[in-house]
Amino acid sequence: MEGSAKQKVPGGKLLSIKVKYGKKVEKIEILGDFFLYPEEALSEIEKSLTGIDTNLAENEITIMVQSVVDKEGAELVGITPEAIASTLRSAIKNGMESNSA
Amino acid sequence: MEWRVIALEEHSACLNMGIDEAILEGIRDGTSPPTMRFYKWKPGAVSIGRFQSMRDEVNIERCRALGIDCVRRITGGGAVYHDQKGEITYSMIAPESLLPKGIRESYREICGWIIEGLSTIGIKAEFAPINDILVNGKKISGNAQTRRNGVVLQHGTILYDLDIGTMFGVLNISKEKISDKMIKSVEERVTRVLDYSDVTQEKLYSALLSGFVKGKDYTVGTLTGTETERANELSKIYGSDKWNFSR
Repeated sequence: MEGSAKQKVPGGKLLSIKVKYGKKVEKIEILGDFFLYPEEALSEIEKSLTGIDTNLAENEITIMVQSVVDKEGAELVGITPEAIASTLRSAIKNGMESNSA
Repeated sequence: MEWRVIALEEHSACLNMGIDEAILEGIRDGTSPPTMRFYKWKPGAVSIGRFQSMRDEVNIERCRALGIDCVRRITGGGAVYHDQKGEITYSMIAPESLLPKGIRESYREICGWIIEGLSTIGIKAEFAPINDILVNGKKISGNAQTRRNGVVLQHGTILYDLDIGTMFGVLNISKEKISDKMIKSVEERVTRVLDYSDVTQEKLYSALLSGFVKGKDYTVGTLTGTETERANELSKIYGSDKWNFSR
């Protein structure tokens, strides 16, 4: 299945997530007009979320993203690990809804 | 430390991005001075942020038909239409030690130089975190920054004029939004120097330069041979589909 979701992070930037998944996340693309230093850390965040269980809870996704941010010494500006987690959950939900429609 | 100022010039999108990165590398290697450069885009171009999708953001066919370049920036932020005559772009490339440590604080510092410059032509602008400058609540300047190897690169645009019709043609905005209502909405959210002052673009450049160099030692210079060579190499990467369509 494929799903996507967008959100304007309050006080921040636009975040868009496109995801391909079955029981696990097969591919994820995190897009938007946010800032991230160093920029290469985004690929690491995407890698860390590839292969996770599709049902993984939002707070657990947040913890995973935060751990990559910490490990990479990265700084997110305009989005947050929480926003990535909630947008990913919305993308998965949207994919399921459009698939069952 | 003495800054180098590279006066207003015109280049293609790929070369403009290549020059910025070549200077960044030069500062990293200790061979280039901190630099402020001012430039325009010839031909006009759309630049997208590092994390945006080219296909999602840009009407590529329309750009090709109009001879407008498309390039992915090294910096984050959003898609921008750079009208050849409608704006001035700057880049500020310097060691982190010359700027406030925090990213948000350094945006405020550098945007302050723009605000200072605009004040000299009678335009009262204000910084709007994270990375915008507003006049009367409307955006007149957008800015984007990256940091690597102890070097800060910030570039941004100052709108002088704005061709809204072309902008709508080259940026992907749903048809429903390209209504009079949407155009009105953009006019309500975006402004330009010509709305407040009848200065020429050359005068705007002089004003911006005065704001950037205020209180600093500087000389007006050009790229070194090494920088030019490296910028030309990097421009090929910025012109590649592998880079531009990587997302």
